[in-house]
Amino acid sequence: MDISKNIIESAQEIFSTMVMMEISVNGENMMTSIPLTESISGVIGMAGTHKGVLAIHIPNKVAMAITGSFLGMDVDEINEDVEDAVGELANMLGGNVKSILSENGKDIDLSLPTTITGQQYDFQPTKDAERIIIPFSCDAGEFTIDMQLEK
Amino acid sequence: MGKNVLLVDDSSTMRKIIGRSLRQAGIDFDNIFEAADGLEALEILEKEDVDIVLSDINMPNMDGISFLREKSGRDGIKDIPVLMISTETGDDIIGEAKSLGAIGAIKKPFTPDKVNEVLGPLL
Repeated sequence: MDISKNIIESAQEIFSTMVMMEISVNGENMMTSIPLTESISGVIGMAGTHKGVLAIHIPNKVAMAITGSFLGMDVDEINEDVEDAVGELANMLGGNVKSILSENGKDIDLSLPTTITGQQYDFQPTKDAERIIIPFSCDAGEFTIDMQLEK
Repeated sequence: MGKNVLLVDDSSTMRKIIGRSLRQAGIDFDNIFEAADGLEALEILEKEDVDIVLSDINMPNMDGISFLREKSGRDGIKDIPVLMISTETGDDIIGEAKSLGAIGAIKKPFTPDKVNEVLGPLL
């Protein structure tokens, strides 16, 4: 099942309707990630007939711009608003992915969203999982959406 | 007399966005109360005059389904209408919400037009 097209459409819908920001795919899908630097990740777990995780990884300055657009105000540091906004992006992406998987016979539940921030960190699966990482760009910069689903 | 709304969502960002969408949809409320989960929502409903509730489903402490269930057992607040605003779209969970008294559901992400389309006729 190629879910990347659905994830792209979901992400574009979320950003245009809620963040008031247009995004576009910025290159080919990847299957491995590079270390994340000065970034924030919104993460949502999936469990049920299939286990996995969905994450959105955003450089800090891009996350601040996205949050500012979300809230209609200037944001100049990674604070609770940014963490909350990034978590909510992951939440909405997760909701759409859940619907798509459900239409394909995969019944999953979602965790509450969490966020990770740091100067440098890796985000890697520990189990054998199918993984797609979709690179996006917007006016504020680039970010990725990362989905891992157990084989 | 104007109307009051209670927004229930564990995301403060989402509560702000819902408030913004209400304004953009031209739906004015005298007071917008906010709660981060079902427990806080019940506390507010018991002490404030609320005309309608917009509630998420997936929340910590008390989720939207549990909130509906608890609210339905309290005489003073059981008839206050609740509209779900959630990433959840499955027939089973929305059906359960409606069986517990929810009057409808709006899926996230949403536009102000969608908010107006669903909420406008209810006010």
